[in-house]
Amino acid sequence: MLRMWWARWSIWIVGCALATAVVIGNAFYQKKQFYPTVVYITKSKPSMVVMYGQALLFVVILGKLFRKLFFGQLRAAEFEHLVERSWYAVTETCLAFTVFRDDFSPKFLALFTLLLFLKSFHWLAEERVDYMERSPVITWVFHVRVLSLLSILLLMDVYFVNVAYQSTITKGASVQLVFGFEYAILTTIVLNTVAKYVFHVIDMQNDTPWENKAVFVLHTEVIIGLFKVILYVVFVMIMVRVYTLPLFALRPTYLALRAFKKAVNDVIMSRRAINNMNNLYPDVTQEELAATDNVCIICREEMTGGAKKLPCNHIFHVSCLRSWFQRQQTCPTCRLNVLRVPAQPTGGAAGIQGGNFNAFINQFPAFGGQGMFRGGQQQQQQQQQQQQQAAQPFGIWGGFPQQWIPQQQQQQAGAPQQQPMPPTRGGGAGEQNDLPQQPAAGGGDAQQRQQQGVDPTLGARGPQIPWNNAFAAMAPPPFAFRPTGESFGDFMTAGGPSTPFTFPPMPYIPLVPPPPPLLQTTGLSDDDLARMEGVTRENIEARLRCLRNVQILLDSAVVQMQQYSAIMSHLNLATSPPTQSSTSVPSPEGPGFSGTSSAFQSSSQTKSPAAPVVVSQAESSSSEKFKEASTTDATSSLPTTETSTSSSSSVPLSEQDELRKRRLQRFTTTTNQTQASGQIGGDE
Amino acid sequence: MAGAALRRLMAEYKQLTLNPPEGILAGPVDEENFFEWEALISGPESTCFDGGVFPAKLVFPPDYPLSPPKMKFSCDMFHPNVYPDGRVCISILHAPGDDPTGYESRSERWSPVQSVEKILLSVVSLLAEPNDESPACVDAAKMWRENKPEFERRAVRLVRYTLGLPPP
Repeated sequence: MLRMWWARWSIWIVGCALATAVVIGNAFYQKKQFYPTVVYITKSKPSMVVMYGQALLFVVILGKLFRKLFFGQLRAAEFEHLVERSWYAVTETCLAFTVFRDDFSPKFLALFTLLLFLKSFHWLAEERVDYMERSPVITWVFHVRVLSLLSILLLMDVYFVNVAYQSTITKGASVQLVFGFEYAILTTIVLNTVAKYVFHVIDMQNDTPWENKAVFVLHTEVIIGLFKVILYVVFVMIMVRVYTLPLFALRPTYLALRAFKKAVNDVIMSRRAINNMNNLYPDVTQEELAATDNVCIICREEMTGGAKKLPCNHIFHVSCLRSWFQRQQTCPTCRLNVLRVPAQPTGGAAGIQGGNFNAFINQFPAFGGQGMFRGGQQQQQQQQQQQQQAAQPFGIWGGFPQQWIPQQQQQQAGAPQQQPMPPTRGGGAGEQNDLPQQPAAGGGDAQQRQQQGVDPTLGARGPQIPWNNAFAAMAPPPFAFRPTGESFGDFMTAGGPSTPFTFPPMPYIPLVPPPPPLLQTTGLSDDDLARMEGVTRENIEARLRCLRNVQILLDSAVVQMQQYSAIMSHLNLATSPPTQSSTSVPSPEGPGFSGTSSAFQSSSQTKSPAAPVVVSQAESSSSEKFKEASTTDATSSLPTTETSTSSSSSVPLSEQDELRKRRLQRFTTTTNQTQASGQIGGDE
Repeated sequence: MAGAALRRLMAEYKQLTLNPPEGILAGPVDEENFFEWEALISGPESTCFDGGVFPAKLVFPPDYPLSPPKMKFSCDMFHPNVYPDGRVCISILHAPGDDPTGYESRSERWSPVQSVEKILLSVVSLLAEPNDESPACVDAAKMWRENKPEFERRAVRLVRYTLGLPPP
């Protein structure tokens, strides 16, 4: 490789030397004297070409010599960058020639060549200083080289800027304008490199990483970038005024603008990251560090201090986190978006939660009021039951998500600052608190459970108890309804054996699950939180149970949907003769079902709102209608209910049916979208 | 104190030397420059690449591990997820934000948690199970999907080539 290189260059050198010798010898042979020889050579174009070639070769050799002196062997990457940038520089120089073609002279050419060489040395110095950070060993030779090179470059830049300035002042605008400007830009590069070099040297002096180094580098870049942008803009403006649009300066101007924008952006992101780190995330104590394997996964080094814990409980070095957050605001391990974590655990956010609850509740009377249930008296009663129902979900769900949150923090925006909130505290909780107090408190039972589920957490009795209680509180619903479903099953068995409960409770819950209430951590220490999260087998089993219960709830929602669509298909046939309905409906109907389709509708209507009452408050609900319905269930004999309900709703039936059908259609589509399980896809 | 990237690469090199994972060999090309590595990957067992030893080059950016390295096979390769010039197209080597194929979810992108070892192990499993949804080499993906015996023949030829054996 090296030999080939030498072979090629020696050919060049020898060839050039021979050509020059021939040209000079020939001229001297012809003119015999020194002065006429010089005149002859300068007048003859072929001779001048040879002389230019020789001069270029000298410059190249000189450049290589300096490179050897200041840089030693170039690395492959350095050489690649150098070649790439040189091409751009040459192209831009050629473009500049077009503007200054009147000034074209050997001196001009020589100045441009010199500029190009100085530029390439600037680039190399920049690369070398950047490489300091990546190099395992820095020798004193390196320091001497870099320092001497940087000072020489700086001196030359300042000198040439000065020359250009004087020339422009005394002789007016000329090509010196371009030179002055180019050297001014090079000065900024040298200053930037010097700053970086100083930072690297300071960093290397310390044994521990210098955390603020990145910040200093960023700010230097912003300042230098600003200088560059100003210089370029001023230059382009002057050039446009004096000559024409400097095409050769457009690309560097654009690059400078982009670099400046990026630097500003980096600083902003960095500041935001630092802000987040300082304000949001707790420092990790020595005990906590000792408890984990205390290796920062970003830099793979031990954490002895200066570590932060993210909302997802992952621990990193402050400096590592900061540099990562400049790029992305996610946890490196679990990709939790840290910016989505609510900054303030109390106050506004809780109020919003409460608002959601209100909106959620308001949907229920709306459902009841828009003809979901038929008959005046019946409707009133149904609405009452609806309200119980509305109250009940909070009993069941309310107790659940509060315990659920610490686990959810792993995936979504739960913050460790949050903590289970008692129903008597906070905005969102106040909403909850009101609901179970409604007179016909259907969720009374569940509310008790909820209390059980919440209180131990606050009392810091340890994490296991609240977890288990929470599951006790949330597990029952699906199973508690099973008896209803079974008694109903021989009356109308839709859905098959895998779906025993035909009319699961709380028909609207899966659609609009109440948002998990926010928690407060003021009462809990970090240890409590850590314990609450729990890593023991018991806790993990409890979590699995919880997830299974969630699945059951979802399944029950699906079954429900199938029920609704079954009703819908009946409604479609309601206008046709009753005899057809029992035979042509695809979903198998129970043997006990012998009535007309309208009777089926009415009984099922009675059933759906009544079902939740059976679960939690079978005794306290004393509505006659309900009893009637339940007896109907038990005996599977329809006539009484059939006559009463169908007679009360005989006239407005078709209109309300229409309304309900539409609602069910919408309901089905939204559930389809949310569930995306495809299980109810064929129901329409 | 040297730069964070260098220290992390040194730590990873040490780790890979002390506990080398099976079928993977990786280290810097020379100890002066820790930002260019060479890796040898053996083809996963009981696949058509079984027995092959595939050399690859890893080039790390100055801000590693915040940005992913680039990986390029330095031997001939015929695989749906390897560009004809040898570059490996795998989601964990793509920084979040750039998605050359538009098929990758955020969760499988680069993050500082990844390491050389994980990258190489992912590439091994990629050799075993090509992802033809977002092919880097369309010819290979097409052949893999439509004419698997031919693909396997070609892979076996490749394996023998990497081992310096004449084609069967």
